[in-house]
Amino acid sequence: MAVTELRVLRNPDPEPSGQPEPAFYPDWESVYQDNVVGIYQLVFRKVGNAADAEDLAEEALMQTLKTLRLPAPVPTVRAYLVKTARTVLADHWRRHYAARDAANELDQLPVEIIANPDAVDRAQRLLGLLPDNFRNILELRFLRGYSVREAANELGVTESNARVLQFRALRKAAELEREVLR
Amino acid sequence: MKESADRVARFVDELLHGRRPHRFEATHEEAEAMTAAVSLSAARVGADVPDKAALDRIHQRLADALNESEVVDRRLSRRAWLRTAGAAAAAVVVGVGLDEVVRNRQESGRAGGSATLLPDNGSWRPVAAVNEIPTGHAMQVSTASLDAVIINDGGTITAVSGVCTHLGCKLQPDDANRKLNCPCHQTAFSWSGKVLYYRLKAAPANLPQIPSRVNNGQVELYLV
Repeated sequence: MAVTELRVLRNPDPEPSGQPEPAFYPDWESVYQDNVVGIYQLVFRKVGNAADAEDLAEEALMQTLKTLRLPAPVPTVRAYLVKTARTVLADHWRRHYAARDAANELDQLPVEIIANPDAVDRAQRLLGLLPDNFRNILELRFLRGYSVREAANELGVTESNARVLQFRALRKAAELEREVLR
Repeated sequence: MKESADRVARFVDELLHGRRPHRFEATHEEAEAMTAAVSLSAARVGADVPDKAALDRIHQRLADALNESEVVDRRLSRRAWLRTAGAAAAAVVVGVGLDEVVRNRQESGRAGGSATLLPDNGSWRPVAAVNEIPTGHAMQVSTASLDAVIINDGGTITAVSGVCTHLGCKLQPDDANRKLNCPCHQTAFSWSGKVLYYRLKAAPANLPQIPSRVNNGQVELYLV
């Protein structure tokens, strides 16, 4: 009895031995406030534009919040949200671009990789691994914001050749991203 | 090759101009190039930061859908209760009462809403120079009567109580995540004082707001 009283005095919310209990989200507003930016950024990394990112982040939050009963543990909600976002993204690529392989790859991507916000570093590393002609066109387009025409002028090729070079450089980047960086 | 290169180039242009890309049936090779374009587009500094209007729209649509479904849930639970209650006339009368009880419980469960701390005989007291709190930061201040956190959210100064509503532990600002963390029981509050999450048997109350203003370069709180 005395031991119990001491425990209560020291810690009004005693933890059972072993793992501490997780924190809880009380309501949907809390889930929204704590996760909306992170989930938007996760989605943005896989669609690259704000309009689609807004729609898909909303869809992932909506599906999660309509499925889970709150209050719910923070790790449960976050894990469910990331998995839902992954499914929503895969559906997006399947539905709008008939990109079955890209969608399947997304579906199978481990949660810790899709949730990793290290996109800038990864892209820099990716560019560093490309042959010079491929790296040049992608740096001009994506880092310096050149149009195809401006990039073509800079590289001394026709616009049509610049588009083909960009296409081949992007395919090579995708191959490297898949094989080297994951 | 040329057609694929042209289609992907258009997709890249749309990404780089911040437009929603057009939809089309992509070949395997095109889709591969497009996913790389997306990674590079997303890696541009600041590209993935959502604007406030987008977040507000998401919030509004969630509120519309989820608050509506909450109403439907209440109706459904009442209907389910009515089914089991048997005598229809008596059930209707009691059922209305039950509905009210459920609603009242939910409202009290929201724990405090946006209570404002307005002391008797208070006055405006300077607690910090406004330039001590850069935008995007929260700062703890202690006065003789209370602990508070002053927040500069995009140039707007607000203040909330600086102690956890559970047991009074002093909150620690976490500026990167726009939160105030309780070091004692893994509870966090938003900058507006709302409970974000908690590791307790029941949700603690939201943080009281403290009236604040900026006067002659000083942040002033309404205090005793």
